[in-house]
Amino acid sequence: MDLSPIWLTLKLAGITTLLLLLIGLPFAWWLSRGRSFIKLIIEAIITMPLVLPPSVLGFYLLLAFSPQHGLGKWLHDTFDVQLVFSFPGLILASVIYSMPFMVGPVKSALQQIPASFAEASYTLGKTEWQTFRYVLLPNIKPSLLTATVLTFAHTLGEFGVVLMIGGNIPGVTRVASIAVYDLVEKMDYASANNYSLILFSITFILVMTVFIFNKYQAKGPLA
Amino acid sequence: MAITSVYLWCYGIKEPFLRNYDTLQYQTKLLPARQKTIKAMQSEQYNTNSKKVIFFLFALLFTAGLSVNAQNIRVAAAANLQPVMEVLQKNFKQKTGISIDAVIGSSGKLVAQISNGAPFDVFLSADMSFPETLFKNGFAKEKPVVYVSGSLIICSTQNIGFENWERLLLSARVKKIAVANPAIAPYGKAAEQSLQDKGILDDAKPKIVYGESISQVNTYITTGVADVGFTTQSLVKELGNKTTLYYKVIDPKTYEPIQQGIVILKHGADNPSADKFYRYILSPAAKSIFKAYGYRVQ
Repeated sequence: MDLSPIWLTLKLAGITTLLLLLIGLPFAWWLSRGRSFIKLIIEAIITMPLVLPPSVLGFYLLLAFSPQHGLGKWLHDTFDVQLVFSFPGLILASVIYSMPFMVGPVKSALQQIPASFAEASYTLGKTEWQTFRYVLLPNIKPSLLTATVLTFAHTLGEFGVVLMIGGNIPGVTRVASIAVYDLVEKMDYASANNYSLILFSITFILVMTVFIFNKYQAKGPLA
Repeated sequence: MAITSVYLWCYGIKEPFLRNYDTLQYQTKLLPARQKTIKAMQSEQYNTNSKKVIFFLFALLFTAGLSVNAQNIRVAAAANLQPVMEVLQKNFKQKTGISIDAVIGSSGKLVAQISNGAPFDVFLSADMSFPETLFKNGFAKEKPVVYVSGSLIICSTQNIGFENWERLLLSARVKKIAVANPAIAPYGKAAEQSLQDKGILDDAKPKIVYGESISQVNTYITTGVADVGFTTQSLVKELGNKTTLYYKVIDPKTYEPIQQGIVILKHGADNPSADKFYRYILSPAAKSIFKAYGYRVQ
């Protein structure tokens, strides 16, 4: 059995989750502080991938990355990168696609921390960064874990976008979900079952982890 | 839609979800005791109405299964036929009045669906071995017959010169080559055979991107995300006036002939419309359409 699709999937999910921790946390923090019309619009855009069909996202990425015009042409001419049919392209798509899973839980958790916590920290002469790092983050540990695990799990399950812009290249864009689809089309159900079982088990363990960790918070697996 | 309105008319359903403003205004001027009776009357009317609605929905659901026009047929067609299928559908409808629901996909995928009980009446494959497999496993009425032979082309939106295409594919000018998944798309298989024949398959491998069918390869070519792709001649015919495509017909000696087979499936075995469509595809009328789209016919 060729394990490369599984490794590729784990690699994609891992890198995406790390990137989203770097991008998503500041975003969530910024969004949690006060409301403005701009923030509302940005939040709506970030949340959209939850309900937007992956094919729509895939279609626009296909157009955006085409090396013949616009953004894709510029990337192609200046940096000689092509994002369609490449692993970096999948990472970019996954970051967009899993963004709400990172930003949503973290933002709502930050909003639930009483303002006096941060204010007390400021009066004691701590900077914004120190406050965020030593006061706010420790207070949202469960939500942070939930967000991280869900982002990872959601990226494992990515299918539609990859089908549109991946090109099914073994070792490059042939992730496990695509491999399963491919094998089912070939009617090789035994191999499809191998990959499916692995994905099924990983996902189950991940969701259970969140559930067990959040047990003490008296919450369901998704809250 | 017509059926729906007939139902509504039969059951005499008044719109139950709109408030009856007349009664509401009237109500406000009445004594509380009278109000009660009107409320009761209203809710009673609402109840009978909602019962009617539920009954109507059930009736609709029940007949939805039956009301599929017995004449219409479902055709599973290989992705290379996508450009020509619409023309065939129109022409067939003109001749017989029978509508066709076409489902387009790679031959292998359609075979998997048919083997799992998908309710298709006729299967138009891109090769002979897929429909033969169906016949062997008891999903088809009789042995497949060839209706057209396809030709493979190499195609691009850029004018990059295909005189010596095998050298072109290995040059830095070409970064991505779109090929349909050879396991389930006969045109993809032919493309790989041709690359093998030219002795460049292994060198070209890193540049190959796989579409799940010829349709997706066509998407990759026309959007320009792949520099070149191996596809069918009918694509050029379809887009002749919309997009400029540069292409070269691949030497048929470099790949096994693409003989495309048709079978009537078990699901359509007793459907006279399926039989009509089968005979139509093998008739001179359909053949001239296929010919216009670059297929070879006997």
